Amino acid sequence: MKLTHLITALALAFVSAEARADKLVIKGSDTLGAKLVPQLAEQFKAQHPGTTFDIAAEGSTTGIAAIIDGTAQIGMASRRAKPAEISAATAKGVHMKPTIVAYDGIAVIVNSANPVKSLTKKQVEQIFTGEVADWSAVGGSGGRISIYTRNTSSGTYSDFKELAMKKRDYAGTSQKMAGNEQIAAEVGKNPSGIGYVGLAYTKASGIKVMSIDGVLPSDQSVHAKTYPYARPTFYYTNGDPSGLAKQFLDFTISAAGQKIAAQVGFVPIP
Amino acid sequence: MLRNYFVSVAAFIGLSLGSISAHAQDAGALLDLLVKKKLITDQEAEEVRGELTREAATTSAGKWKMSAPINEIELYGDIRVRYEQRQGTTPDAMPGVPGPNDTLKRSRERYRLRLGIRGSLADDWFFGLRLETSTNPRSTNVTFGDDAGTFGKTSDGAFIGQAYLGYTGIRDLKLTVGRMPNPLVTTLMVWDADINPEGMAEQWKHSYNFSFGGGASTTGETYSKDSKSTAVATAAEPWKLKLDLFVNLGQFLYDDANPENPLGERTSTAGRLNPNSDNWILAWQAGAKLTFPKDIYFQVAPVLYTYTGNGDSFNAFFVGGQQGLTNTASMNTNQIGINSLLVLETPWEFGFKIQELPVRIFGDFAVNFDADDRATAAGHPDKGDQRYAYQIGAGIGQLKAKHDWQFQAFWQHTDQYALDPNLVDSDFFDSRVNIQGVVVQAGYAISDAVTFNLSYGYGRRSDRSLGTGGIGDIGINPLDKYQLFQADLNVKF
Repeated sequence: MKLTHLITALALAFVSAEARADKLVIKGSDTLGAKLVPQLAEQFKAQHPGTTFDIAAEGSTTGIAAIIDGTAQIGMASRRAKPAEISAATAKGVHMKPTIVAYDGIAVIVNSANPVKSLTKKQVEQIFTGEVADWSAVGGSGGRISIYTRNTSSGTYSDFKELAMKKRDYAGTSQKMAGNEQIAAEVGKNPSGIGYVGLAYTKASGIKVMSIDGVLPSDQSVHAKTYPYARPTFYYTNGDPSGLAKQFLDFTISAAGQKIAAQVGFVPIP
Repeated sequence: MLRNYFVSVAAFIGLSLGSISAHAQDAGALLDLLVKKKLITDQEAEEVRGELTREAATTSAGKWKMSAPINEIELYGDIRVRYEQRQGTTPDAMPGVPGPNDTLKRSRERYRLRLGIRGSLADDWFFGLRLETSTNPRSTNVTFGDDAGTFGKTSDGAFIGQAYLGYTGIRDLKLTVGRMPNPLVTTLMVWDADINPEGMAEQWKHSYNFSFGGGASTTGETYSKDSKSTAVATAAEPWKLKLDLFVNLGQFLYDDANPENPLGERTSTAGRLNPNSDNWILAWQAGAKLTFPKDIYFQVAPVLYTYTGNGDSFNAFFVGGQQGLTNTASMNTNQIGINSLLVLETPWEFGFKIQELPVRIFGDFAVNFDADDRATAAGHPDKGDQRYAYQIGAGIGQLKAKHDWQFQAFWQHTDQYALDPNLVDSDFFDSRVNIQGVVVQAGYAISDAVTFNLSYGYGRRSDRSLGTGGIGDIGINPLDKYQLFQADLNVKF
């Protein structure tokens, strides 16, 4: 009896240890982590039984910080690591290695009832900095513009500031949302709303995508970089990835992984 | 193979340039171009970009963090060490002075530091900040050994010499507010070069380019952070003429009244209501510079100065010393009053080149239209003609690069009631009016950053029946004769 218990306990401990060994901790970008990475993880698990994932999508900043702190094997980021982050990583002996996993276009969205169909880059900058506060100034039917942005830990928040706003500050009246889906939902409910989301989130109901200087975000315009808010998205690792992290990264950029990326709404690596 | 070559080249160039983050960004543009040309992939570019950023982040420059709205920033300044001797002589018969022509002499070893940053910001804003030694508005010098205690530091403080911001977003217009470099075209006769007026300035400048034999064109100008302007080049023509028109307006807070509205009724001093309004000096300048064909120019820039309000420090009638009094009594008469000043100044300059050597002939003329009243208030109603000041001089050479040299000389005359004695240069004529004399200066550039300068000034009282108004370093009034010698070693960066 005691021997049976001992064997059972050892077996459970072994299984548990195996489970810990096959667990992949991924932290970072909501743009990547809300849809794409979970779907990749499901497919990966189907091919690698026993693998478990711990995915936390709380913004690119948290993903890069997790690589620096060693609390994740993969850091998802929709922006490049900042010099200060790279400097902090170097000080800790961490080598921040970026791998492009897909491309994205930051889509500017408005409520589908909004008569405005396109904006110029200048108008986008003016709206999000608060210089223009009424829709009538950009060809709309009037009404105070409600601005929805991501929170400050978001890579999209930083990227949009750099790509669309000449690094200027957001309007003081802008409302900070936790993720792309929240922005899409708010804009979908608010006829005066405007926000930005990754391409994967443009199919939400009640919203429409603005063309910017006459260009809509698409596979072609993102690859050709003719869409002004096109960007790569990354996995960050500490040096060259190994083990499970490498397997998952390889799967992400494989044809199968890129097919999932395209299905989710990202622009695959050419 | 070719791709690997380009990745290596990109990395090499980038890392070579990567000593500062700005260069890393330059290399980033190169990477983008290589990707666009399909010579490397995005992934390869990202890896090189990461290396560059990592390299830049480990350098001293890479550790500086700049606020995002800063487009450009410049650190600049100078350090100067100086030996100076100045001396003044009393009049022939000054009560209380034991003999004629008694001399007061001061020899000083001095230094100054000016350290500033200035830059341009997003959306056509700019700013400037400069720290300076000395609290004196007309001097940035600190005298060695002039402290409490041996090698003390009581006189070695740094103060805000300039702190200003401005806007250049309107074509041809530059707006500045704060404590700023003097925006006016002027000379030492009227404004000491160390004065940084406080208030507002509006500057407009537009250039007209004329090409004879090939039509005419008009070109706008933009102001850079150092107030220099850059004209857009036009096609070469046989003979060209350029006309710069400019307007400089200044509203400078000369003296703040505190409080503007005191408790109770306004009090009086010596029968005059105590002031309750700020005192401003308003400057109205319009000028033109004609350049033809490229090395010859003539500039004239008349400026009218008016004063408003009372302030609480300068609201007394100017006397400026008195012949026949003891030195102490003469000096105790009012030296700083700014009553009855309506001054028109007309600085001008003619320049040309002899081979590559710049030559300039310059001058200034000023008249106080209210000198009659100022003289009367000073107790000399018969001296209303003491209203003029003028300067004429010439210079050759410049001090821009190593082995450059410069020589300059000018003559200056200032009547007792012609100018504001609180603004005139503090060195060559000891901050005085009613004095005339000559100044000679020579300079040599030991290196691109280091210059050695010698200056000599000699002045004597102009109207011997009056004092020499103003508060200078030589405690004599009337100051019958005055001499100054300065030897400067200046490091500019």
